[in-house]
Amino acid sequence: MSSVIEVANVSKAFGPKVVLKNVNIQVEQGESLVIMGGSGTGKTVLLRIIMGLLTPDSGHVTIDGKTIQGLSIPELFEVRKQIGMCFQMAALFDSMSVFENVGFALKRHTKMTKKEIALRVDECLAMVGLKGSDKLKPAELSGGMKRRVGFARAIALKPKILLFDEPTTGLDPVMTDVIGRIILDLKHELGVTSITITHDLKSAFMIADRVALIFQGECLAIERPEAFKLNPNPVIQQFLRGDADGPFLQDPPPPKRTPQEANV
Amino acid sequence: MLNFFQRIGESLMEFFSQAGDFTVISARALRATLKRPFDFENLMRQFVAVGVNSIPVVLLTGLAVSMVFAVQLAFGFKQFQAQGLASSVEGLAVVRELAPVITGLMMSGRVGSAMAAELGTMQVTEQIDALECLATDPIHFLFVPRLLAALVMLPLLTGLAIYIGYWGGYLILVHIEGQSAFTYASEFYKLVGTRDLRIALTKAMAFGLIIALVGCWRGYRTRGGAEGVGNAPTSSVVTSSLWILMTDFFLTKLMLV
Repeated sequence: MSSVIEVANVSKAFGPKVVLKNVNIQVEQGESLVIMGGSGTGKTVLLRIIMGLLTPDSGHVTIDGKTIQGLSIPELFEVRKQIGMCFQMAALFDSMSVFENVGFALKRHTKMTKKEIALRVDECLAMVGLKGSDKLKPAELSGGMKRRVGFARAIALKPKILLFDEPTTGLDPVMTDVIGRIILDLKHELGVTSITITHDLKSAFMIADRVALIFQGECLAIERPEAFKLNPNPVIQQFLRGDADGPFLQDPPPPKRTPQEANV
Repeated sequence: MLNFFQRIGESLMEFFSQAGDFTVISARALRATLKRPFDFENLMRQFVAVGVNSIPVVLLTGLAVSMVFAVQLAFGFKQFQAQGLASSVEGLAVVRELAPVITGLMMSGRVGSAMAAELGTMQVTEQIDALECLATDPIHFLFVPRLLAALVMLPLLTGLAIYIGYWGGYLILVHIEGQSAFTYASEFYKLVGTRDLRIALTKAMAFGLIIALVGCWRGYRTRGGAEGVGNAPTSSVVTSSLWILMTDFFLTKLMLV
């Protein structure tokens, strides 16, 4: 198996705040990696560095053997055509309809006819369960629908790699499960390599081949879900329990009270 | 004392950094006008937004300013028994200064601010990052249609302002001050040559360039959520208005030599 995505010794700081410290991650062909971690630990920054939207202070990212940080803008755009990025809040173009959003890259980067584009858009929307909603504007969609249109837009060019930035944040548990299933479907149907950032443990373990945890800018563990659950590291165990007490938080949490104490 | 010089130094550094950034982005935008793919639909949308939708504003401001100016001229020249000069000076002022400058200032408020707000919102909602991720250069996709629309539409709107300016002066000088319509019509263009029209249209193009580049740049560089989006249009209008007035002075001085 060869590494499709390789993050090598990547560090990034914004002013005095160090966000990533010497992060090393390899993702194999067809593998689904889930990255977890607390808020503000640099997970989104890592995805942005992989996409070439941010430049690391040190280290580099290689996609399919091409080092992102050394590419010219046209070369970088060629690499990006192989990657589908799904943003946390979908980042749909609000002046365009769902159809125009999903067909955007097809219209700009392929020689497909209008009819072929319409067929491909329909196909992509069907994959995310939104067939028939092509005429709607982003403002008319719910949060879950926006994410799914974002997925459809990301897969339109048939990318080899999919990156999901917190695809379930802010959604109800049922919609979270729907999104998890769609990601799993896309993985099986398209055979893509993917990196998903999420806080949601249920969907994380549903879609992951391997799980990583970023803590204070460092990658604490990167292993298969079964091994990750048994990892004795107290930070990982606290994260899995979802408990405020432990080494995960830098500032001490408020004291724990029983419901009776809270009502006094 | 050190703090004082430190603050001046920091302000200067900030100014040069912003000026440098604006220059680089502007150069990229100008170079991108020649790049493919050519987005005809997007360009047409901008022609409508910048040009067609601005017609009422330009008509009203052009009419109001030319009427006020005609009132002032009629009053001023009456002091010297030289009412006949009012229509010639009205023509000269409308063509050379009032039409291009008032159109430029109104467009910086109407169009430049809209560009800054739209791109600013796109920036803070990650839509510009989404463009990058879809292998699309945001400078090419967002700046170029707006720039071309402003370059084409500002001279056309200025022509419209000159036309309505003629009728503004006509209303005051003919209907109120009692000049003959024939005299007004011949005197209005008496001092105006093709060079003056060239000056007006050149100014209008320069103002279009300023409005589009400053508006798009301010929007593109928006940071910090709602506050940033709120500041971008204000900053765009203030910056482009100042530039329009300064450019007007230098272009007038250069082109009248």
